[in-house]
Amino acid sequence: MSTTTRPETQPTQTPRASGRREAAWPVVATREIVVKMTDKSFIIGTLVSLALIIGMLGVQVWLGQREDTVKVAVTTSQAETFAKEIGTSAQAADKTRRLAVQRVADTAAAEQLLRDEKADVYLSQGDKGWQLTYLKEDNSTLQQTAQQVALGSTLQQTAAKAGLSQGDLAKATTVQSKVLEGSTDKMNLAKAVSFIFAILFFMSALGFGMQIAQSVVEEKQSRIVEILATAIPVRQLLAGKVIGNTVMALGQMVLYTAAGLVGLAFTDYKRFLPAVSGAAGWYLGFFLAGFLALACIWAVAGALSSRQEDLQATTMPLTMGLSIVYILGFMATGAVREIVSFVPIASSVVMPGRLVAGDASWWEAAIALALNLVFAAVTIIIGERLYRRALLQTGGRLSLKQAMALED
Amino acid sequence: MLEIDSLTRRFGDNVAVDNVSFDVPEGHMIGFVGGNGAGKTTTMRMIMGLLARHGGEVRWQGRPITADDIRRFGYMPEERGLYPKQGILDQLVYLARLHDAKPADARTEAMELLERFGLGDRAKDKLESLSLGNQQRVQIAAAVMTQPIALVLDEPFSGLDPKAIDAMADLLRGQSAKGVPVLFSSHQLDLIDRLCDGLVILSNGRVVANGTREQLQHTGRVRHRIVLDGDAGWVRGIPGVVAEDVDGPVAIVEFVEAQAQHRVLEEAVRRGTVRELAELRPSLSEIYREVTA
Repeated sequence: MSTTTRPETQPTQTPRASGRREAAWPVVATREIVVKMTDKSFIIGTLVSLALIIGMLGVQVWLGQREDTVKVAVTTSQAETFAKEIGTSAQAADKTRRLAVQRVADTAAAEQLLRDEKADVYLSQGDKGWQLTYLKEDNSTLQQTAQQVALGSTLQQTAAKAGLSQGDLAKATTVQSKVLEGSTDKMNLAKAVSFIFAILFFMSALGFGMQIAQSVVEEKQSRIVEILATAIPVRQLLAGKVIGNTVMALGQMVLYTAAGLVGLAFTDYKRFLPAVSGAAGWYLGFFLAGFLALACIWAVAGALSSRQEDLQATTMPLTMGLSIVYILGFMATGAVREIVSFVPIASSVVMPGRLVAGDASWWEAAIALALNLVFAAVTIIIGERLYRRALLQTGGRLSLKQAMALED
Repeated sequence: MLEIDSLTRRFGDNVAVDNVSFDVPEGHMIGFVGGNGAGKTTTMRMIMGLLARHGGEVRWQGRPITADDIRRFGYMPEERGLYPKQGILDQLVYLARLHDAKPADARTEAMELLERFGLGDRAKDKLESLSLGNQQRVQIAAAVMTQPIALVLDEPFSGLDPKAIDAMADLLRGQSAKGVPVLFSSHQLDLIDRLCDGLVILSNGRVVANGTREQLQHTGRVRHRIVLDGDAGWVRGIPGVVAEDVDGPVAIVEFVEAQAQHRVLEEAVRRGTVRELAELRPSLSEIYREVTA
């Protein structure tokens, strides 16, 4: 002890100023974060998840850019011209589609190419018009395109004979699709996004929730909690734990979401980026509220245990509840989905999905978020009380009922 | 001064601590003694505000103790408590930070304490990698960090080797010399005898003895030892004298009447020479055995 450099502490008659010079929770929160950041399994887990997200999107990009070339065998010059027209038309509809034309001497040679798998299809002119010969399966999109092209050129020839201009012909024959609400692509994307949000919420809430419970029970089991409780108010200890882990959980989620959005910008789905970004923004808000709503309950689950071995039993209701939310996140449809999207915690995964799909407006999201926050406030108040009461009990595992009956 | 006034605590129907009162004055070291289950730990937990009181009061400087006072106490729980998987320096710094110390000051003080206990080169080691004795040293370091205004230590000496006991004793003496009231529990009566200004003996939740060693030695039965030059058997016949043991010229007696000592002396002088007449001071362990019997 450096009694020379520090003034001696003499017990004094004057009452000390009440309270600390600074709040204790930032010190506790910092410890939680440092412990987590130096935990190898946490770092590795985060990197693996990031790699998975980027990998999944990478596969999408690769699939989107891969060229789909159909090799066509022909025997006549008319067929060759027609095949090239089909190729141009197919490529106009989808830039990844291409037609490679190979001219051979006769039908036998063309069929041999099919058998050798050097050609996908043999285009010939028979008695009943154009014919597409395949080795095994039929490629119907090619047939459709071929039919359109055939029809188009015939129409053009006929129209020219009838004195009709190209423009008039186009107007008369073009059928354009216009979608008022959503699209299949968008619905699929909404489904995928809901699924991803649900799985991320489930993993993160479970992982960090367990972390809170474990850190509480570690302190209880090692009895350091007795020293902590005499040093700072138990409320500050809880606040530090919850805030530290929430910061980590939210930080990790922001990282995942950012990686996902940046990745999405490189895929064919990039046109949905604005909608998905908006929903992701909401999702982060919902995640925060949902996580906070559970955080104190996790702490209570930890406080009810007296050893790590008890945790499985005391956290069971939480893991069950989260599993249900997780399943609801991508299983619920129709009216159930609409209702669930307002239920606290469940709303964290369902509402952002509805936002991507475009079947919920911002005020619905705002209401769901508000409900989630109200619920979080309630669980924090109740959780803090139960935590405080159960924390210093040493006689084995407590039931929730016992904890509620405890005196302060 | 730390005053414990009529503390009571029940667990169900069992009264674990029953109307316990004693004081720990400034600069005094008070030993808290009692068998297992006597209520020492329960009393200490109530002093530290970890357990609700079912009666009585704890006062600090004459007024009811507050959480702010307790915050500045140093405490060592019975079942040791620190993070097993954290470096020892880091956790000492953490605990000091919770006690409002600045990070740099906390680090300097923690390092000084570790060096004092010979653990300077193990500052980065995890607690669980240390021997039990060394873990104990870290634990006491945690209790005396950041200048506590009082110390409440539950069995600080258990599990320590003689060298560590000396280091711990020096440390506690240093604290009490600074005016810090120290209350510690122990089963080692010789240690208490060596260190303490006073002791409180607890049995079945009640205080059965409380005072300085001098005071305790004068309560209860006071016996005398008489050594004569002839046989001392005759003392048995003197009224007001209970002879506990007579062995040739040596007798151990208790004077149960005020005049008995005078009568014995007169008779002894009449019969010959009195070589010795001394009051027998009971040892602390004798007192302990007597009051807890």
